[in-house]
Amino acid sequence: MAKTIIEFQDIVKEYGDTKVLKGINFEIEQGKFYTLLGPSGCGKTTILRIIAGFTDATRGNVMFDGKKINNVPANKRKVNTVFQDYALFPHLNVFDNVAFPLNLRKVPKKEIRTKVLDALRMVQLSGFEEREISEISGGQQQRVAIARALVNEPDVLLLDEPLSALDMKLRKEMQYELRALQQRLGITFIFVTHDQEEALAMSDEIFVMNAGQILQTGSPVDIYDEPINHFVADFIGESNIVRGHMVADYRVAFAGKEFDCVDAGMRQNEPVEVVIRPEDLDITTVEKGALTITVDTQLFRGVFFEITGHDDTGNMWRIQSIHSTEVGAKVGAYFDPEDIHVMRFNESEEDFDARLETYEGEDSDR
Amino acid sequence: MQNKLSGWSRAYLIIVFIILYTPILFLVLYSFSKGNTMSNFHGFTMAHYQTLFNDPRLLQIVLDTLIIALLSSLCATVVGTAGALGIYETRHRSVRQTVLSLNNILMVSPDVIIGASFLIFFTMLGIRLGFISVLLSHIAFSIPIVVLLVLPKLNEMNASMIDAAADLGANPWQTLTRVILPAIMPGIFSGFFMAFTYSLDDFAVTFFVTGNGFSTLSVEIYSRARQGVDLEINALSALWFLVSLLLIAGYYFLNQYNQGRKTKRREVGAIIK
Repeated sequence: MAKTIIEFQDIVKEYGDTKVLKGINFEIEQGKFYTLLGPSGCGKTTILRIIAGFTDATRGNVMFDGKKINNVPANKRKVNTVFQDYALFPHLNVFDNVAFPLNLRKVPKKEIRTKVLDALRMVQLSGFEEREISEISGGQQQRVAIARALVNEPDVLLLDEPLSALDMKLRKEMQYELRALQQRLGITFIFVTHDQEEALAMSDEIFVMNAGQILQTGSPVDIYDEPINHFVADFIGESNIVRGHMVADYRVAFAGKEFDCVDAGMRQNEPVEVVIRPEDLDITTVEKGALTITVDTQLFRGVFFEITGHDDTGNMWRIQSIHSTEVGAKVGAYFDPEDIHVMRFNESEEDFDARLETYEGEDSDR
Repeated sequence: MQNKLSGWSRAYLIIVFIILYTPILFLVLYSFSKGNTMSNFHGFTMAHYQTLFNDPRLLQIVLDTLIIALLSSLCATVVGTAGALGIYETRHRSVRQTVLSLNNILMVSPDVIIGASFLIFFTMLGIRLGFISVLLSHIAFSIPIVVLLVLPKLNEMNASMIDAAADLGANPWQTLTRVILPAIMPGIFSGFFMAFTYSLDDFAVTFFVTGNGFSTLSVEIYSRARQGVDLEINALSALWFLVSLLLIAGYYFLNQYNQGRKTKRREVGAIIK
């Protein structure tokens, strides 16, 4: 296991009467790509600002490399930030912006030159040294900001929604580049975003946040396949979420029928929510289908048709299918037991993990 | 924007400028007149300019006026910029508003009242009226101007630059000198020039706080004008006007030069690319 570099111990942040962070606990390991994901106003940027030292936590400890750093000022912390608006210095050119932290530390001129040129090469901006900030594009400014943050060789790089100002194509490109950069340098990245696609594509580990709390921590695959509750399931990817109840271990009832599933460890007849991803539903004939669905709308999305419809008990279903159908038609929807994910109401992440362990252990014994 | 002004607006513009500039041109014209009054033009002479340059008292006053203007605007720029930074840093909204209002009140209150209150203040403290009292009062009434011109630049500045500077390892002093001051420099410069011109043409405040033996140009011209305007004053005004013109032209060409240099660099950059 990699070394823990940053740890939050029960961090609470209050502005007057409003609690922005309600007891945040997490550990950040060295060399991984972390993403804080949540809707705007959920407190993710506040976490970043507390790590960087721009904001103080009201209560709780911030540990860096095993030492408490609550009272260490921002300019003494070994983390650097890429800001949402880049925060480049307009009176300095590209070279001097990147050289800024080195000049502060009185690094010899020759060394500054090699380091800055290296950093600019790393973000593919060689030859732009003498440009003014106002003369380069948004995407290039973004790269300068990254180079400036990396030239100091920080232990942790914080990125505050750095891609949100870029257009779609450039954003995708930067996702690849950031990920590649992180893997090449081996520096810990903590990335803040509200864009779930971005989070899934780049991260080793995602913290899903809402209203000042971390709801779920895990790898992109874990979080996508096994969301802990309605919010996470809804926020990450598209989902069909319907109500049902557990009949027994590995048997769940919803939409008026009983199905096999792979979830267990719940009370009998416990009310639950069932998640099935739209891409896991296949359109078939009514006879072969597990559910009978009446098609309400159909949209052509390029790669697939997006079909919405309702079953006999009135649940809405969204299906992504490569085959088209007709509005008003009755079709069968087919899915495998593995496609069903069952969520309990108000289950904490700890209980969720513990429950998963009980029966996933059984699985491997069998 | 309209490229061509219509006939009426052009005429209006011309009339306004004629009204504004006629008195000044009239004044300049008579500085070359042979007579001693401004009632009739009696033919061309440079005599008034000669008297002017042979009048050491008047030249001394010009020098004093410039020194006062330069010193007071420099001090006011330093104090005013610090004040603007202080107001900018103040988190508490009501405190900030109060300080700003107090600043603005000084801007709008009549010079006569400020002058009179300075006079009372200096006499009470026992400060001798003269160079020091004039300098202090000029600094004082210039500070609000500087604050008012620097503060918008601070508010315009991208605040995350300050975070970024700290993030990159700058201590508060380095953040101030390397990031904040360069960003607000245009505001500081215009504050300085405004303070300079305010000091140059101040009459009311100076009139109150100056003592015997020390005078600034506006006070001197006023006292001479009471005995009937001497054409030497016309000559001085003409020169003063010329200097202002040169200053403005210089400012314009400096701007042009900077712009040109930027475009040129951009072109060079494009070629390299």
